[in-house]
Amino acid sequence: MIKTIKIACLLTGILTLCVDATAQQSNSVEHEQHKTQNDKHHDHSGHSMSQESGAASDHLHEHNEDHSAVDKTHEHAIDHSQHSDESTEHGDLHHHHHMDHDHIMDHEGTMIMGQNIDKLPSSCKSISEEKEITVRAGRKYAAKFPGTMFAFDQQEWRVKPCSKVTFHFINEDQVRHQFMMHGLPKYLYKYGMFHLEVTGPKTVSGTIIVPGSDDTFLVHCDISHHMEKGMKAQLVVGKGGENIPSIPGLTPYNINDIYEAENLPKVSDKAEQSAVVRQITTALTKSDTQNYLMILIGALVGLLSIPLIKKMMPSKKTEN
Amino acid sequence: MPNPILIVILIFYLAFTAVVAQASLLLPKTIKVDRAALTSEPPCDPKISPAWREAQVIDGVKIEASPGCNPDNPAWIAAAVKGTNNISMDTLMKTGLSPDTIIKTDDLDGDGDPDRIIIKLEVMELNGKSPDFPGILPTFDIAPGVQPGAWVFAPKTSGMSTENFESVRANPLLRLPAPVIRVEQGDIVQIILENTHYFPHSIHLHGVDHPFAHKEHGGNDGVPQTSEIELMPGERRIYEFQARQPGTMFYHCHVQTHTHLSMGLAGMIIVEENRPNNWLQTLNIGGGHVRHPSVAIREKFDQEYDLHYHAMDKELGDIIKKYNDPRLIARDMNQRYDITDSTEDYYTINGLSFPYSLRESLIIVKPDQKIKLRLLNSGGETIAIHTHGHHATITHYDGVEHNPVAQIMRDVFDIAPAQRLDLTLDTTNDGKHSYGEGDWLIHDHREKGITTNGMAEGGSMSSIVYTSYLGEDGLPKTSHFGIDLSNYFTQEFWQRRVPIWQDLDEVASLGSPAGQAINIDITTQNYLLNALYGLAAGLLIYFIFAKREYFKQCAMAAISRVRSDKGSKQS
Repeated sequence: MIKTIKIACLLTGILTLCVDATAQQSNSVEHEQHKTQNDKHHDHSGHSMSQESGAASDHLHEHNEDHSAVDKTHEHAIDHSQHSDESTEHGDLHHHHHMDHDHIMDHEGTMIMGQNIDKLPSSCKSISEEKEITVRAGRKYAAKFPGTMFAFDQQEWRVKPCSKVTFHFINEDQVRHQFMMHGLPKYLYKYGMFHLEVTGPKTVSGTIIVPGSDDTFLVHCDISHHMEKGMKAQLVVGKGGENIPSIPGLTPYNINDIYEAENLPKVSDKAEQSAVVRQITTALTKSDTQNYLMILIGALVGLLSIPLIKKMMPSKKTEN
Repeated sequence: MPNPILIVILIFYLAFTAVVAQASLLLPKTIKVDRAALTSEPPCDPKISPAWREAQVIDGVKIEASPGCNPDNPAWIAAAVKGTNNISMDTLMKTGLSPDTIIKTDDLDGDGDPDRIIIKLEVMELNGKSPDFPGILPTFDIAPGVQPGAWVFAPKTSGMSTENFESVRANPLLRLPAPVIRVEQGDIVQIILENTHYFPHSIHLHGVDHPFAHKEHGGNDGVPQTSEIELMPGERRIYEFQARQPGTMFYHCHVQTHTHLSMGLAGMIIVEENRPNNWLQTLNIGGGHVRHPSVAIREKFDQEYDLHYHAMDKELGDIIKKYNDPRLIARDMNQRYDITDSTEDYYTINGLSFPYSLRESLIIVKPDQKIKLRLLNSGGETIAIHTHGHHATITHYDGVEHNPVAQIMRDVFDIAPAQRLDLTLDTTNDGKHSYGEGDWLIHDHREKGITTNGMAEGGSMSSIVYTSYLGEDGLPKTSHFGIDLSNYFTQEFWQRRVPIWQDLDEVASLGSPAGQAINIDITTQNYLLNALYGLAAGLLIYFIFAKREYFKQCAMAAISRVRSDKGSKQS
């Protein structure tokens, strides 16, 4: 570090001398204005994961009267008819269901959290429309997005403000997946979350009432690296808000990997008649060789331009 | 005509050289790192309740006291003993486990304990790259700020992979090592692997009596070259066995084993002797103290500990911190990583390195006790575990009992990769079994085993500590010797930025010498440098501008030369 400073000092010093000298030579003293462009624009927009929190206060007391309603949904929510008879032998089926106001879970871990079937957001006077959305999840939906491993069948759903939306979440894999939504008003949704979770192949359904203002909500699977590897989408309410980053096929990644061409075997390699030609071409495609080649070309250009420079020098002399 | 800029530069340079020259008359003074400048952590994880240390009964499950700093969540133990299908919803909610993680049913032999056991494991990534922000998640520290990229078999969880939406720290169930599995001799056991990871995986039951192929579930040995194809992401596979022999065994992923094992897909599996009413702690999450030992162990021992030694290569783990695209990770791991050129960097005991090992993997003993230690080495090299103050007896190699007459006592235990040793630690103070009470180290005596990425003292070091040497907080009492471990609980220590001997005396005679220059911090240095670069660039532009006439002339001359050349050739 210190050395760099020293060198920089010296360089600048030398340069100043040169400038001084030339300034004395030239007759006209001219002023130059430098513009330093400091507008390195850091775009933080991508990081904001819709942290809107609706009203500031949490009205947690509101849902005491809703037991009956929740119980009813509980009956509907978990569809036992779809039990896969996969070789998982359960012996006896202890159906122990967990229930508090916003957390319903069955014996297989199928879960509905933060469901809201009747509480209107403060920004809504009435429910604008009732909508049902089927969401499929699984590895096969990642096939159309190279570089991902899990995905939802769609990456964006659009609903009207104040609409009541029922999501039918169909997990087509044999592992857990989640349909987890963030950024909902916290006075209606604990932690601002609505969360469906199910081990496939199986379906779980849950309902929410979306807020009355235009906004975009993150939807993802929070199992380690499922979102990072493609299981990410957004729910657009009305005209929507800011896009969520790194949704496959929809929005760019904030941070991209670096890709380089691989020297993979090709059928055409085999087809080539001459082994010598093949050797040369492979040698040429190697990045090292390419680098050296470029240096060589540069050197040649330099050599060729020597006469030109030579011719320039005497011309200067003659003029002087 | 003197240039004012030139003068400023010259003065600056002269002042600079003068300071350097003066400094060289006296050696640079010592700079002591201020404790307040360090990112310190409390020795015990404050998120873990001290109430977890106490002996307690949950849902009828007796849980032994575990006076260490950060003992296992008692709810985990209750769920592991009764099965997640048999515990109260209240307890289940305290575990974070899925309700179908451990299913225990059917007392087939009528001896009072369940004999059909289903265990569901998922594969989880720790400290992997995110495409959304410049960081990794879910984070898991093996020592303060030390976060190797890793994969683990985790008990099937419910909900998020992180503590909560605001945190990137991993859910406590997602951790190194893979959980210790305990089943009973004769149990019909299904280990169901739900591959939640983005790579193919499998489970190989090393040492456990299992059929090569199961009549219903097919290949059962976990080897993609012999018994089955790789289990792809999103798929599930059942491994079923009914072990006839007891013993300390090993399970691990057998897909691309040379990388997947080192990445952390390895755990202990123990087959316990069949006894009546033998409700086992099916999972010992995080290893360490077994707080609900089997009937057979309680017959012969006062305590039981699972000690899983592991080693990881930083360069291998860094691959998942470098790329997000699974294809690039696969390329680097499968085609570019060369294990024959690799070195291990992280040494862990039960997933953690010193000083975190003190939080979880202390062997806390009293005099005149018999303690069962089960050791597994899942690292790539033989380790040499030394017990300070004790000679322990090797009773079993690889799960098989050694001839009792020929059993030997040692104080260094060499354990080959994948090997298991069962030891009996006797704390009778006779100068042979034990030299008396104390805070006795237990560590790998290959000296690199007590380092974390080459920084000592770290690695898989822990202690056999007598309760008389155990503090209120569950850590060994060391302060009465003037020992202060707080530097180890800082991130900067592991970044190699703390001169470790600076506090050994008042004057810090072995502290860090100041740099031989003006002592300006890096940001100021950068500012100055940038200013200088800016000045240089400005002057260069000015220089070109001032001499533009000359350049123009040169160009004109060159062009006329070329033209005249052509003319002369033509003529």
